Amino acid sequence: MSEFDAIVVGAGPAGTSAASKMASSGMNVLLVERGDPPGSKNVSGGILWGKDLSKLYPDWEKTAPLERFITNKVTGFLTEDSSISIDFKTKRFERQRTGYSVLRTKLDGWLAKKAKDSGATVITGITVDGLARDGNKVIGVRQENDVITSDLVVLAEGANPRIAIDEGLRQPINDHDVAIGIKQVFKFSEQTINERFNLRNGAGFAGEYSLGFLNNGVKAGGFLYTNKDTISLGVVIDIFDLRKDNSTYSFDIMEKFASHPYIAPYIEGGQLQEYSAHLVCEGGIDYVPKLYGNGYLIAGDSAGFSFSNGMMIQGMNYAIASGIAAGETAISAKESNDYSESMLSSYEKKLSSSEVLMDMRNFRGIQNVTWSPLVHEFIPKFTEGILYNMFNETGEPKKHLFEIALENFAGSKYDRKSLVLDLYRMMRRM
Amino acid sequence: MNIEEKLAVLNYKTDPTYPHITVNPSICETCPDHFCTFACPARCYTLIDGKLNFKYEDCVECGTCFVACSHGSVKWTNPKGGQGIKYKLG
Amino acid sequence: MVLEIVVMVKQVPDSQEVVIDPVTMNLNRSMTRNVTNRADENALEAALQIKDKTPANITVVSMGPPQAESTMIECLARGADRAILVSDRALGGADTYPTGLTVASAISKLDHFDIIFAGEESSDSSTGHVGPGVAEFLGIDQITYCSKIQYEDGYVTAERELEDGTEVVKCPTPVLVTVLLNSNYPRRQTLRRKIDAVRKGMEVWNIEKLELKPEWVGVRGSPTIVRRMQSIKEKQREGKKVTLEQIPDLVKELYEKKIIREVH
Repeated sequence: MSEFDAIVVGAGPAGTSAASKMASSGMNVLLVERGDPPGSKNVSGGILWGKDLSKLYPDWEKTAPLERFITNKVTGFLTEDSSISIDFKTKRFERQRTGYSVLRTKLDGWLAKKAKDSGATVITGITVDGLARDGNKVIGVRQENDVITSDLVVLAEGANPRIAIDEGLRQPINDHDVAIGIKQVFKFSEQTINERFNLRNGAGFAGEYSLGFLNNGVKAGGFLYTNKDTISLGVVIDIFDLRKDNSTYSFDIMEKFASHPYIAPYIEGGQLQEYSAHLVCEGGIDYVPKLYGNGYLIAGDSAGFSFSNGMMIQGMNYAIASGIAAGETAISAKESNDYSESMLSSYEKKLSSSEVLMDMRNFRGIQNVTWSPLVHEFIPKFTEGILYNMFNETGEPKKHLFEIALENFAGSKYDRKSLVLDLYRMMRRM
Repeated sequence: MNIEEKLAVLNYKTDPTYPHITVNPSICETCPDHFCTFACPARCYTLIDGKLNFKYEDCVECGTCFVACSHGSVKWTNPKGGQGIKYKLG
Repeated sequence: MVLEIVVMVKQVPDSQEVVIDPVTMNLNRSMTRNVTNRADENALEAALQIKDKTPANITVVSMGPPQAESTMIECLARGADRAILVSDRALGGADTYPTGLTVASAISKLDHFDIIFAGEESSDSSTGHVGPGVAEFLGIDQITYCSKIQYEDGYVTAERELEDGTEVVKCPTPVLVTVLLNSNYPRRQTLRRKIDAVRKGMEVWNIEKLELKPEWVGVRGSPTIVRRMQSIKEKQREGKKVTLEQIPDLVKELYEKKIIREVH
């Protein structure tokens, strides 16, 4: 007889959602988080998209600690001198909110409290050492010299899943699976942010950029999100090319983004409140491990559930959705008192019919596009050249767009064949 | 602002009894790239007179070095008992 | 016989998170979370080290608002056996005098005690009054600023840190010992003990239970009156940068100016 029906490792969006779902159906659930308080080890990439939380807490939009709802979405390219972007603002996002900026210590604290209110036993400040096994079956967790038993363990450890790796439940992480996320949070008054970004009544700005000003093929994306009275500014750096270059410091890329001529004015005068770093899952569907086995399930970032197609970066919503799916699977397992691999395989079936695995399968290989030289070097510089020539009045006779484009293409290092191939890949995968 | 000044705004609860990351000096000595020194966002890895120096006290627990080191020198575990980095905002 | 040990603890704002508003120069606590006072963690560890050798019961006593529960659970998860939080609206605004009275009253409600441990001082007010105050209210001996604390056959032996050295004191129980910050490495909480701690929970006592009148405690029972608060500007100190090679010369210079001294 196990001490708990389920033990959930990690109190982020995935773990708290799984724990809450199970506990509210009457299961005896232990939720263990190494951070104290919850969220103090976590870093958000910024925006919580979607409405997944409403399945657990119908009133979440009124009660959760959300910063701002996004009405202004910018996708852009930055070069040494220029900024080129699509700037989309819509009243529709005001009427039907789709994304909120969040800060994780606040959000995760709230989520953990909701899990506790649902009836889960929430323990913080304890690091689980590993899994306890009986043959090929997971029967609980190990911590110091103790074993705490449970019928099911849900691993929701985040993007650096120590237990899953050490226990051989997932392959080790390699350069293409993750990127380095670095973030700085600056303090302002709410009013300053409203004025700087032309925002009213709790609306927010979300900007995502390809950083086309880095040298030696180093690739990184940048983001800027407005919170209530802070701004989150961050970069996501590709490890593979950083390694090839082996002369650029990751933290210098953060600083270079923050001091870019068209980013620096946004954060001018802000007091740095936090510097943080976290791995970002980038491996797509090929990085997703086996999601279940006898007595265990894997959810959230631990399972590699995140998505970025260059237009949208998502992770927290998949974490919540996968946590709920894990919880539902556990409830059925409890009902039939069967926690075997074949019973728990319904977890993957649930995810396959939800956006989580559908998005990831649909966009298989998208990281090859979002991290391609096309996106990070060619498009920014090519577009900059065209726009500059178009808008620059020199007093000379004007040229046709096609002519300008050809001239700029000739100036780039790209050969025609790989351009066509990369463009084709982009159109197909994006 | 340099990286040291940025790290200075952070709250750590350092565990003096447990270095959660360790490196194997004999591997680092012969390392051809020392990519860790470029990858680590908290500059925990530095070269002093060509020798690798590592301090776990500034670690923000991102896991980058575990991926960055392709020579098997970095042994990565989580700090114990709520110690280590303590983000205020996240 | 089982030794009865009491440990006094306090929940304080995390001093690393208290920031000074650059404009008003006031403390900005809005970003501050609460933690267990670090010297009190050393006090609990001192008690646990005695318990490692001698059969003992450890009761943790604190005065504070209900959110101090996290500190009480943490102490149980490190190995304490019982946690009592004295919490009552009437206790708000207390200075060190009624705080000592309140904690002493709580301890005197226990069946028996042999040793009381307290941290040398709290990080948020740094008076060091409450431990000694409790000893006085209870009429027992006290040893302050201690490390290397041992118990044997009814006696506590401890090293007291003095300006110019250390003093070894041996004292019969009952005795109150205040423990130096960083004088030991507090053991970690374990999952097993923390689960048990959450299930067991803490006891909450009010002033009625302690037979204290509202006018004796809290702000009404506090003789301290705050007339004015002011921030003091930090004096700019002389400083210089030295290279790695110049460190021995620097040490010599500091030694000659009697800024640092040799310790044997």
